[in-house]
Amino acid sequence: MTDFFTRLDAALERLYLWAGYAAAGFLILVGLCVLSSILARVMGIYLAGINEYSGYAMAASSFLALAHTFRAGAHIRVALVRSRLREAGRWWLEIWCLVIASLMSCYLAWYLVKLTWVSWKFEEKSEGAAATLLWYPQTLVAIGSIIFAISVVHGLIRVIVRRDADGAVAPPTEVGAE
Amino acid sequence: MDGLALTLIFLFVLFLMLGSSVWIGVSLLAVAWVGMELFTSRPVGDAMALNIWGAASAWSLTALPLFVWMGEILFRTRLSENLFRGLTPWLHNLPGGLLHVNITGSAIFAAICGSSAATVLTVGKMAVPELKRRKYPESMIIGTLAGAGTLGLLIPPSIILIIYGVTVNESIVKLFIAGVLPGILLALLFMGYVAVWDMLGGNKERADKETYTASQRIRALGQLVPIISLILAVMSSIYFGVATATEAAVLGVLGAFAISWQQGSLTRENFMASLMGATRTSCMIAFILAGSHFLTLAMGFTGLPRTVAEWIASLELTPAMLIAVLAIFYIILGCFLDGISSIVLTMAVVEPIARQAGFDMIWFGIFLTIVVEIAQITPPIGFNLFVLQGMTGRDMDFIARAALPMFALMVLAVVIISLFPGIATWLPSQM
Repeated sequence: MTDFFTRLDAALERLYLWAGYAAAGFLILVGLCVLSSILARVMGIYLAGINEYSGYAMAASSFLALAHTFRAGAHIRVALVRSRLREAGRWWLEIWCLVIASLMSCYLAWYLVKLTWVSWKFEEKSEGAAATLLWYPQTLVAIGSIIFAISVVHGLIRVIVRRDADGAVAPPTEVGAE
Repeated sequence: MDGLALTLIFLFVLFLMLGSSVWIGVSLLAVAWVGMELFTSRPVGDAMALNIWGAASAWSLTALPLFVWMGEILFRTRLSENLFRGLTPWLHNLPGGLLHVNITGSAIFAAICGSSAATVLTVGKMAVPELKRRKYPESMIIGTLAGAGTLGLLIPPSIILIIYGVTVNESIVKLFIAGVLPGILLALLFMGYVAVWDMLGGNKERADKETYTASQRIRALGQLVPIISLILAVMSSIYFGVATATEAAVLGVLGAFAISWQQGSLTRENFMASLMGATRTSCMIAFILAGSHFLTLAMGFTGLPRTVAEWIASLELTPAMLIAVLAIFYIILGCFLDGISSIVLTMAVVEPIARQAGFDMIWFGIFLTIVVEIAQITPPIGFNLFVLQGMTGRDMDFIARAALPMFALMVLAVVIISLFPGIATWLPSQM
């Protein structure tokens, strides 16, 4: 049983990291979109809706990176009280923070999934020149928010089980860590 | 329950969340949710999802991750050496000597990077040990670096100005251009202070008596060529309207790769580290922005912005008094929150006040940026102070004290741009 949880823990860890890599890919895509719009303009071609796509790529990047950013401890917080507490107090405070974060991230994920589902059902299109079917980019955002919710709940469980106030966020260990 | 009680609950939840170290993005979402539940009968979750989707996919924001990436790439090059070697021969003869390297180095690095912590790190990496070796007083090394590092926020490309521009719907390009002269003004104030301090006999133990010939100086300039050309390329493409802020950011990323490649720093590790670093930083900011966007929606329902704006109007403050009040408010807020959070958190309330008072919103953005810059060096939460603490190993008390004169100079800068708003508004008006 312990073995199962250890493996699950590691698998989720990989999920966050790979979502982070996907987010990085979308960040590159933002750059490529903008670059192609510059090149197109220089060559006198009109690329419809390229700005729109760069916005979608940015949204996908931001949301897919949420879990990885969370695990890397890169989401900022006011640590004034936290840093002055002893181990036990910090543990309780961390549980409080993680409960709030779990509730909000699950709530957010739920409604982003619903938004995507509604867009899909009514085949909603963007108002811009590209007239993209909105559920394509929204699916990426919804997936990112689900992974984020998982990572926060995962962090909560880990903090409780390991009785470690700093267990929710780990220093980044992957290639590319600062 | 009446409006006042609801408003008090709303504010209480806000302070409770932020104070108990809940992540800022999460706090904003939670507070906005409470506000919506208290003040409207609209289905909150659907409004939230639509609102956040809109905020996250806004095209005008795409400049942000790209400028962050540009800074991350350059952060991993040998620019800190280049800056030190290139500036030293030119500045060591000035009264105050190499302390000016801290200031000009920061100003230059700030022009390719929108973050103040990265500016402090990059310039300090080389300058702190070198200046210590030459027996400059540590309080001055730390003070100048803490102060000048904040230029990263003001001198374009500036993450804060992008966020402000998107939040209040003003041109990012104009804001960037408006930040140039106030940034130079601040740098000159810092340099003037160092010079006066030295002439009053401040630096007795200075141990650098090197001299440089004219040809050495010219050769030193070579160290600065790549970075200066990148700055000129990015800024002039914006200024002359060739590129939008986002397009200039892409050019900046390409230029950063070119510099990194030419210096042999463009390894696979550095590429990945810069990319993942930029992804995380952009994500962190985007999450806060998404939360604040939702909070702004909720704030509209609470009526808080209108109430506060009416209350402020009823006080009949003169513009000067209003500026002073806002400056003090943001400096206090900045003791607890970082610059981005304090701007996005308050804009829903402050924007109507500023517009009602008839402030030029471009000028107001510059004013706000300088004020939140000050927050970077005020204890207990000052990000530059933390960076310097990690770098020098001195305690927070010493570092905060060393930064105190810079705090005064920045307040002076706020007074100057309030008296002479043209310093911020003239350059954009010439475009």
